[in-house]
Amino acid sequence: MIPRAIQLLWLMGMVVLLTCCSGGHNQSPPQAQIIKLWVGPNEAEESFWKVAVAQWNASGQGLQVSFTTIPTSGNSEETVLSALVAQTEPDVSTNIFSGFAMQLADLKQLEPLSSMPGYADLIERRHMAKLIGSWQINGTVYAIPFYSNPALIWWRADILAKYANQKIPRTYEDVYQLSRRYAAAEHRYGFQVLAGRGWEDRWFDFIALYYAASNGRAYIENDKATYDNADGLKVAAFIDRMYEQGWTAADFDAGDPLVSGMAAGAVHGPWDLGTFQRMYPETMKNIVIGPIISDAEPEAHTATFSDSKGIVIFRSSRVKKEAFAFISWVLGDEHLNLLWLQKTGMMPARDDLLRNPEFADFFNTHPAARVYATYVDVAFPPALNENTIDIQKVMTQELLGPLVFRTKTPQAALDDAASQTDRILRLRQ
Amino acid sequence: MRAFTGKMSESHIGALLALSYLLFSAIFWAYPFIWLIILSFSDWRFFHAPIFSGLHNLVVVLRDPEFWGGLWNVVRFFSMYFPIAFVGSLGFAFGLKHVGRGKAFIALCFLLANISSGVAFSLVFTKLFSSTGPINNMVFSRFGFRIPWMSNPNLAMLAIALVVAWKFIGYYGLILYSGLQTIPKELYDAALLDNTPPFKRLVRITLPLINAQLIMVLVFTILVSFGIFTEPYLITGGGPLGRTNTPLMIIYETAFRRLQPSHAAMMSVIVAAVSYLLIRITRRLLEKDVKLA
Repeated sequence: MIPRAIQLLWLMGMVVLLTCCSGGHNQSPPQAQIIKLWVGPNEAEESFWKVAVAQWNASGQGLQVSFTTIPTSGNSEETVLSALVAQTEPDVSTNIFSGFAMQLADLKQLEPLSSMPGYADLIERRHMAKLIGSWQINGTVYAIPFYSNPALIWWRADILAKYANQKIPRTYEDVYQLSRRYAAAEHRYGFQVLAGRGWEDRWFDFIALYYAASNGRAYIENDKATYDNADGLKVAAFIDRMYEQGWTAADFDAGDPLVSGMAAGAVHGPWDLGTFQRMYPETMKNIVIGPIISDAEPEAHTATFSDSKGIVIFRSSRVKKEAFAFISWVLGDEHLNLLWLQKTGMMPARDDLLRNPEFADFFNTHPAARVYATYVDVAFPPALNENTIDIQKVMTQELLGPLVFRTKTPQAALDDAASQTDRILRLRQ
Repeated sequence: MRAFTGKMSESHIGALLALSYLLFSAIFWAYPFIWLIILSFSDWRFFHAPIFSGLHNLVVVLRDPEFWGGLWNVVRFFSMYFPIAFVGSLGFAFGLKHVGRGKAFIALCFLLANISSGVAFSLVFTKLFSSTGPINNMVFSRFGFRIPWMSNPNLAMLAIALVVAWKFIGYYGLILYSGLQTIPKELYDAALLDNTPPFKRLVRITLPLINAQLIMVLVFTILVSFGIFTEPYLITGGGPLGRTNTPLMIIYETAFRRLQPSHAAMMSVIVAAVSYLLIRITRRLLEKDVKLA
């Protein structure tokens, strides 16, 4: 029997805890004016920001900036969310993908950047007029894209030399032919169709292929799936045929298929250029880069998916204008854009990468990066929708799953995925 | 000191000693649990005060096919995991009982699986059993086919059940072994004198006398079935076709990816209630009060 005093103590402890922890949103004491910045948690980005922030602080153009990498061991979104709930968020954060920006904007946590003084000038100065269109939420921009990385296909040149007459596959038929020959000769696979099992992997398989087939047409519009059409069917039929013939595997978890030669081609972004150069230099010597496959004309400038991250200012910031001045300076400065390119290998989100003489030397000495730069203008970001995860989970389970396991025809899988997406988006409204 | 303790009754000292546990429970169990209940019946999306929403979250969760799929996957997992873990741990316990030397070493080897990182062995398993991994490459070169351990909707759950069973067999086995140690040898001697066959000895003597340990293992397997997260999250990501999607994965995604914490809270309450009820029913039906004369 627990004595009454102990029971009381326990109860009091509970009350104190509930009182303390249910805490209101008390104002924190005023701090010295400083712009707090979180940046992507990787060495390359950190090295860029170290230089950029030092330059800004030395220039005396505005408030001092203090930066750290997003303190995460998992994904950035959870850390940013936790910080917002705990009211420990910075003023500015990079590394925000468009779907997450949409969620945060919906929760009224982001400052509308398009109403900041100097916004229009920044868009013009950075040549972003075309790119920024796909980041608008009802005409308002909450996150400005920092970089835009087109997804392209890497091919093993030595395998193409043996089985494709050194020709980089551009069409479905090219991939079928290569796969047929490679499978017959070496019992291996022509192309890694599925990028992985996660919902985010759909950006690098179905969505990239759909953008290529449809010339960048939206797959979600007005909370409805729009990929159930002739272009969607072409992509579904391609995936279906690859699995029907055994020309691709259900998973390539054992290791990178290009390194092992298990597949002749796979989708990669420019961030992998540095990684492969460091880890697999021999494989890298054999890599050639081509567009996402489609049934377009051989010389067509094929559209693709853009893995793009933006920069935001949180609504709680007390230095919004000063923070925007810093953002404008970083984004608008061509030297810093070049530095970003040199440090990270990722493409600054601007339309003039190949026209601007500032970047000419870099692209002349980095031919692989140049290929990526040529696709920035036809690289489209994900659909701006706060239900990104559900939309792409449906693609995985209702569209790709049945095609991989051959339980539905391409048309039936497309129909079911689209109607299931519509149903979920209707429920979430 | 003596004067001080002399004034306190034994129950007071006991209660004081238990206070640390009570405080721990209050902070890390009761407080979150009360919040969970409040959130389950509220509309809350992280940034405003919870607003009472009645049974709205319950209706949303009960209409969610993914949540029902997750619960069904628990049943599927349990139906594969329990027989593997039960037979494996029973075999381990019998084996250990008959080992002469190195008993501690063998037990330690099995327990290593239990204390090793779920993340680490999930990644190793993923690489080894991938359809393009070394094991499948060997199978393909010998027999001309590959086993889609993680990409086949039916095999994927079995693969996860095998991995989780491998982790827990040593632990469950030691629990059963402790039960076997308590059975008097005389009972077996008497059975041998009566020419009782081995299977009958198992069913009539051994299993009834380790009922408490068997129930404990059964309860643990139920808890594991409702609580698995790391292995399916890392090995299959809930796929293929959502066949390895577990309630915890759905709760995690609902709270932190869909940003719907009150829906996730309601899911947690339902999962907790179902698992609690199942354990109560299991104990009521199967638990026996075993007394050795």
